[in-house]
Amino acid sequence: MKIVVFIKQVLDNTKLKFSDGKPVLEGVPMMMNPFDEYALETSLRLKEQAGGDSTVTILTLGAANAKDIIKKAIAAGADDAILLSDPALNDGDSTANAYALAQAVKTQVPDAKILVFGQVALDDAAGQTGPKVAEILGLPSITYGKNAQLNGDTLRVTRESEKGIEEYEMQLPGVVCMMKCDYELRSSNIKGVMKANKTEILVKTPADIALEPALVGAAGSATRVEKTWQRPAKAGGKIVEGADAKVAITQLLDYLKESKVL
Amino acid sequence: MSDFQGVWVITELTADGQLSETSQELLTPARRLGDKLGQPVTGVIIAGNKDVSAAESLLGQLGANQVLVLKGDKLSEYQVEAYSMALSEVINQRKPNIVLLGATTTTADFAPRVAIRTKGGLITQASDLDLNANGAVEVTRSCYAELLLSSVTASARPQLITVKKKAFPKPMTNSSHNAAVESLTPDLAGLQSRVKLVSIQQGESKGAKKLEEADIIVSGGRGLKGPENFHLVEELAAALGGAVGASRAVVDAGWRPHSEQVGQTGKTVSPKVYFALGISGAIQHLVGMSTSQIIIAINRDENAPIFKMADFGIVGDTTEIVPELIRTIKEQNLVLHV
Repeated sequence: MKIVVFIKQVLDNTKLKFSDGKPVLEGVPMMMNPFDEYALETSLRLKEQAGGDSTVTILTLGAANAKDIIKKAIAAGADDAILLSDPALNDGDSTANAYALAQAVKTQVPDAKILVFGQVALDDAAGQTGPKVAEILGLPSITYGKNAQLNGDTLRVTRESEKGIEEYEMQLPGVVCMMKCDYELRSSNIKGVMKANKTEILVKTPADIALEPALVGAAGSATRVEKTWQRPAKAGGKIVEGADAKVAITQLLDYLKESKVL
Repeated sequence: MSDFQGVWVITELTADGQLSETSQELLTPARRLGDKLGQPVTGVIIAGNKDVSAAESLLGQLGANQVLVLKGDKLSEYQVEAYSMALSEVINQRKPNIVLLGATTTTADFAPRVAIRTKGGLITQASDLDLNANGAVEVTRSCYAELLLSSVTASARPQLITVKKKAFPKPMTNSSHNAAVESLTPDLAGLQSRVKLVSIQQGESKGAKKLEEADIIVSGGRGLKGPENFHLVEELAAALGGAVGASRAVVDAGWRPHSEQVGQTGKTVSPKVYFALGISGAIQHLVGMSTSQIIIAINRDENAPIFKMADFGIVGDTTEIVPELIRTIKEQNLVLHV
């Protein structure tokens, strides 16, 4: 069974710096999008469950330095990887990216049975790419998964929604988007790291996958970011000593009264 | 572009067939846009076989000019492919300019598919929106886990926008305002329903208020020293009429369920008042609650990062201060007005 997991490289948001209302790229480390880590672990578990000659293929749309996170994914247990990379692909929104990724699946992994995404990327937080790829490929999709298991030729997905915990069954081939799962991404061992260093990451351009230019990057986008700015920082607050609980609480209640919530 | 006319609100129904709170809130920005553009507001109800006459009336009272009711067996329960196909069909036929939806896990499921089918531009998680000088909707949303704000427009039509809960208040109802109601049954020929709901377990928290909608949240972290002390968080939340939250550390330690987790891989909340009890304030937590209006922190470490973001902080032992706070609130019958 062929499983494809889509991973995105994002800026490490715990080390973010801003300049002129935009994130500074230089000197800020990149990381695998945290929800893609859950997608990756889910894929590795599905591979184990499916057994036989099942494989996990990484598919990433990104810059050349995205190879770092791809290697990490191979070290954890993925079998092979495709990096879709080209300056023309930059500045694409989720529509443009979805068409590019769908075309990569059609041409490179057409027999993929399960396509796994992280539910949302930390940077633009749009949460649209997975279901869009599903629609373009004519596949069913499930979002907000926290667990996925094979059940014959369907996928059983546990989903957390506002209504509660839902159990879904999806016919394969299909797309599942993972939120935080009950399990973490497994750590890699030396063997994994060595394999990652030896495995060739296939780099593909839009032309390699016959992606129509009209669908690429800004031209293929349906939305546009007009401007960005930093959220204004909170002004400093009042901090008091809590050695005497009664005194501290009186001060807290006074503050709440001043703020008109009490 | 100009053959796209009208402002639509795609509503969601509660389990008992009423218009959800979030759906009602959408009428406020819908009417603002409709008024500015001189275009009618249409409320869309995906009814299936249900009787939605109450929802139809309410939409009129909230200011919709028209109501479109989508009927048919296959739309009676939520199913991603049926909803995507039905909505895309009516949108492609009627060509609304703007389509507003609540930002829920349900719309996250089907709205992107509708965007592809209608070739529209979808912008999710709007915290604000308005018409810009070019007559297009400009949406304010956040990225980089709430640290950066952005202004986004759709270059395609229709403009599809999911709006965060409580980004707008509900409009006042006008009992004498009625909307014209039209029903139609979308042609779902060729529908393949390959995703099926097997079972559902309602709500996980111990009867506590839903976290994302709460105006008051009391969250606990490692500073509570052990799961046996978490009742202090629950009691304070109950005394204040708020919801219970938790840091990732205590969720990973198994003290609390993931549904209570506030933060980067948990829920993003925006209450009026947020109590951070025994939470140090790692960035991954802060990004989940940074837009809280008033942040109150109690932590024994005066250097805890949470104090940089708190409006009021107490440096002390959470397990000693919180019982006293609960006692005082109960004794004095204190109520937070939010």
